[in-house]
Amino acid sequence: MSNFVMVNNIDHKDLKIKTKKCAEFGDNLWFSITFPDEFRAVQAHYPIFFQKDGNTGQFAPVALYGFKQDENLFLNDKGWDAGYIPLSVARQPFTIGKQVQAIDGTEQENRVLTLDLDNPRVNTEEGEPLFLEFGGNSDYLDHMASMLEALHLGIESNQDFINCLIDLDLLEPFTLDVQLNDGSKHQMVGFYTINEEKLDALEDDKLAPLVKSGYLKAIHMTMASQGNVSHLLRRKNEQLGLA
Amino acid sequence: MSEVIKEIVIVGGGTAGWLTAGILAAEHVILDQPDTIKITLVESPTIATIGVGEGTWPSMRETLKTIGVSETEFLKECDASFKQGSHFIGWLHGQNDHYYHPFSLPENYHNTNLANHWLHFSEQVPFDRAVTFQAQLCEQGLAPKQITTPEYSFIGNYGYHLDAGKFSEFIKRHCVEKLGVNHILADVTEIKQADNGDIKSILCDTTTKGSSESYGENYSEGLDKASDKHSNEISGDLFIDCTGNKALLIAQTLNVPFVSQKHVLFNDRALAVQIPYDEGQEINSATNATAQANGWIWDIGLQSRRGVGHVYSSAHCSDETARKTLEDYIAATCNANISELNIRPLSFEPGHRAEFWRNNCLAIGMSAGFIEPLEASAIALIEQSAKYLANQLPKTRTTMNIVAKRFNLKFSQRWGQIIEFLKLHYILTKRSDTKYWRDAASRATLSEEFLEKLQLWQHQCPYNYDSFATEELFPSASYQYVYYGMGGQTERKITAKMQKERQQVNQILQDNQNKTNQLMKVMPSNRALLEKIRTFGLSKV
Repeated sequence: MSNFVMVNNIDHKDLKIKTKKCAEFGDNLWFSITFPDEFRAVQAHYPIFFQKDGNTGQFAPVALYGFKQDENLFLNDKGWDAGYIPLSVARQPFTIGKQVQAIDGTEQENRVLTLDLDNPRVNTEEGEPLFLEFGGNSDYLDHMASMLEALHLGIESNQDFINCLIDLDLLEPFTLDVQLNDGSKHQMVGFYTINEEKLDALEDDKLAPLVKSGYLKAIHMTMASQGNVSHLLRRKNEQLGLA
Repeated sequence: MSEVIKEIVIVGGGTAGWLTAGILAAEHVILDQPDTIKITLVESPTIATIGVGEGTWPSMRETLKTIGVSETEFLKECDASFKQGSHFIGWLHGQNDHYYHPFSLPENYHNTNLANHWLHFSEQVPFDRAVTFQAQLCEQGLAPKQITTPEYSFIGNYGYHLDAGKFSEFIKRHCVEKLGVNHILADVTEIKQADNGDIKSILCDTTTKGSSESYGENYSEGLDKASDKHSNEISGDLFIDCTGNKALLIAQTLNVPFVSQKHVLFNDRALAVQIPYDEGQEINSATNATAQANGWIWDIGLQSRRGVGHVYSSAHCSDETARKTLEDYIAATCNANISELNIRPLSFEPGHRAEFWRNNCLAIGMSAGFIEPLEASAIALIEQSAKYLANQLPKTRTTMNIVAKRFNLKFSQRWGQIIEFLKLHYILTKRSDTKYWRDAASRATLSEEFLEKLQLWQHQCPYNYDSFATEELFPSASYQYVYYGMGGQTERKITAKMQKERQQVNQILQDNQNKTNQLMKVMPSNRALLEKIRTFGLSKV
């Protein structure tokens, strides 16, 4: 169960956050959501594909960490073995909540930092403190807040990016066939990628806005990121002692 | 009129007219090209459409995709829902018996005839449940797909339940705005024929141009000139009669006789009504067809309402009795106040034209024929006819005769097959509570071929060898569902092949069971999915 509360320096003055990445804290994700502004950092380590939200059917770009549910090939005893952890994971156990405030008689919606008190990372003994001795925000908390702001804006920007891909008919379903060193074959379905033939065939008038919005760059980064599948495969083979 | 077929005139709107226009235009009209095939639909502003049939076959998915509409838009605008088959209640004994004719074939159908194996344990599990997961999906009111399933794709094969009036409007708009169909609102006053009997032109009282602003400039200018020149006369090379019961061209002008099938399928009346849902009521994912003393009642779930109607035989039952039967059914299935419902009477002569295509005129829709909607064949036949025409559209008047001859042969067979298949639903009944059911079980009017099949099926299961033509309307699997649903008997046997495939068959049956259990857990209800689609839409990939 989750128990989200708005972070404040009175109720939460003694709280600390364990920042280690491990399965017990729920980091055994096999993918998580990402967004165009993050692609440059993500594509250096992970394959980026597109996936539909099971609840809404809406597409979103995701960074892939494993080949099946609960498998994160980047997790080991020391934590998360990669130079960059995507914001959708790094922000744990914080989320953005919404607060409606009446200002000058009109209702305004504010984004506020919320914390899941039931998350196993939250404690009072070890980890990063949320607040300084006299109630000021710790650097850690400020960092998490700016991270969440970036994540929030990033996920919002996905909508326009995805609509653009759909309008140009650039998404296509694909099946990832993986063969391990012991010869066993695995198939992953339910992922989507850029249809490169259709991308190549775009007329100039369609291409120009893509360049201008930066989406062409984002598209190219997702395409290039797929080479990281072989790194995932290497990790998988190592894990199984097949390397 | 010209030797080369260039101008096609469809007389009559409604489902038949607009669906035909859409299918033809999608295949033949090249926008902005002056010498393209031209399609004009003349629709009366005064005659209301009947709106036959609110159920379609799975073929409608392909049809809609072909004419280029979005499934999300279609579902939203036509009040449409998913139909996964038909559910027959009380047809065998008139009590608690029921069975499904789902749209999904039995698992692994083209490799293994599961029916042969099922016969050996037929007491334990009904046929529909043993061979497909879809009967259970329907039973639980679950959808045939998920929100992540792309448009027109499926987990369980499906067609639609739709509001026929809204559907015509939806296709009309697409035809006029996107496919370059010329739309004229006018009443036909006279039909001019050539010496050889061909229809030369139709005369109209006033030709108001319909909603036709937005297609290619050249094209609409050309038509404007044409209609100026002939004032209220619309000429064409090929005429499609979509005038419904009136059969203005095919019967009133070309005198093609009607072949009644009332002696085989005697239902000739219907009472139709629209019923609001009770709060939170599920949307059925199959058409419920519940047998009554002198006919049967259809029950179709759209998004916003149910469509219910009683089909009956006027020779067996008075209109008052039929109305009472319908009211009893409504009272038993919802809280609606019956006195507030508008029950519409319809009458029809079951049967079809002796020919569907004569001279340069083809009848599609009710002008070609009509039969009780037991397997929702009306819209399916419109699609089949229009697709045949689109694919085989004759290039010249001379070759039209060849195409017409072949069309007539094909569709006579199809009508024969529909009548036979519908009769199969009645012929095995054990009901004898009314004269209607005793008459329905009489074999006196059956064709020799049908009698032979019934004889054969006592010893061997219906299978692929029972199909004689390609593109059969009903696959042999449909015969299996209905035959065994109606308690049809086939002698059990064990062959060498069956022995060899037993292990594989056990696996298929087990897989089907597992798949069924799995789907029960993950599939949304029909209503939940439709609501989600209204919010998020389905994606194209």
